[in-house]
Amino acid sequence: MPAIFPRWTNHIPVVAGLLAPLVGAGLIFAVWYWFSPKFTDVGYRPKQPVPYSHRLHVSDVGLDCRYCHNTVERAAHAAVPPAATCMNCHSQVKSTSPRLEKVRESYNTGAPIQWVRVHQLPDYVYFDHRPHVAAGVGCASCHGRVDLEDVVELKEPLSMSWCLDCHRNPEPNLRPLDQVTNMAWDPAEHDYDPNKDPMRKRKVQPPTHCSGCHR
Amino acid sequence: MPARTSLVRVAVGLSAVAFGTVGCRGIPSEKPPIHLQQNMDFQQRFDPQEPNPMFEDGRAMRLPPEGTVPVGWLMEDDHLWRGRGPDGRLVDALPPGIKLDRKLLDRGQERFNIYCAPCHDHLGTGRGMATRRGGGFAVQPKNLHEPRLAAMPLGYFYKVITDGQGTMLSYAAQIPVEDRWAIAAWVRTLQASQRASASDVPEEARNRPVPKALAATRAPEGGAS
Repeated sequence: MPAIFPRWTNHIPVVAGLLAPLVGAGLIFAVWYWFSPKFTDVGYRPKQPVPYSHRLHVSDVGLDCRYCHNTVERAAHAAVPPAATCMNCHSQVKSTSPRLEKVRESYNTGAPIQWVRVHQLPDYVYFDHRPHVAAGVGCASCHGRVDLEDVVELKEPLSMSWCLDCHRNPEPNLRPLDQVTNMAWDPAEHDYDPNKDPMRKRKVQPPTHCSGCHR
Repeated sequence: MPARTSLVRVAVGLSAVAFGTVGCRGIPSEKPPIHLQQNMDFQQRFDPQEPNPMFEDGRAMRLPPEGTVPVGWLMEDDHLWRGRGPDGRLVDALPPGIKLDRKLLDRGQERFNIYCAPCHDHLGTGRGMATRRGGGFAVQPKNLHEPRLAAMPLGYFYKVITDGQGTMLSYAAQIPVEDRWAIAAWVRTLQASQRASASDVPEEARNRPVPKALAATRAPEGGAS
């Protein structure tokens, strides 16, 4: 009686034993690497309806972040400015540029410009800009060097573990309170100790419990 | 052993294919983030500035209905909100609720540098960076030190920030009312600084070196001496 299984089937246990851990490791790697917001979110750089360049307006003209995003110190939401803010200057500068057609149209008709949101948190996160700005977390810490970008790009994963990294140990990301909007201020270049800053009235103690961010 | 090398080859090949087709972290992309599990990421409510197709203009944020006043926005105090006294003339004093002190001037300087300096520059001479780029302004911003403006009452500067003037648009939406008064006070300070003589400086402060931050704000032409 011939053998039921051919000879090569003898190798199956060995090959499977070698492959299974590799496949398993590959799957774990794939989930860790590609399912992370560092892959799914970082680098998001949508095309905007108006080709607004932060590099031109911040690095060259020298506008402060708060000239346009003026609610950042007073409200949870750092507002995208209305066309009226653009027209403060663009009623004078480049007032006939075709690239600004949508801005003029929005200013004249009141129809909003449909900017595409880049930094979007899930609706169950109640992020508030106010305490972060007041604590001396720089704009660049979460948004990256927007002042060098022609097109705004998501630079940080905005994931919960990323938030908690800083909430558990905020000091490396704190800066003098008057340098918050200074995009070029690099924490690595300064020996800044927030606990010795006389401008600070109290120690920064970010919440790490659930209801700090979730309601 | 050939079996093992081929296994390594297969593994390297597979990961190359995976990275090649799926991509690496941080690659710029115009495509929106992929979230397989969207559980409650988007809830039945609207965040500020989000679109809402229910309304004709598509905005989730609504304007107050015509003829209504939101709580706290009655603005009946003419001095605070319009910079005018009981006689309807522009006042030359801060509103009673705002105290002139170092804190107010610091605030005014900070806010002036954010909102005014782009056009009027840090000294107020009307040669800000925005006027030097992109072909310049059709109408040059005012030099705040010209005699006509130096003689204006404080309320005038508050009014111009609030309502706009000539080619300058209103900044009422961008700057809260207290900050507008702080900026007006800082404009006065700048004006005084440009007409000051050495005798205005207290004796003990005359030989103090100029602080680095202040030196940086000086006009490149060296207007201040």
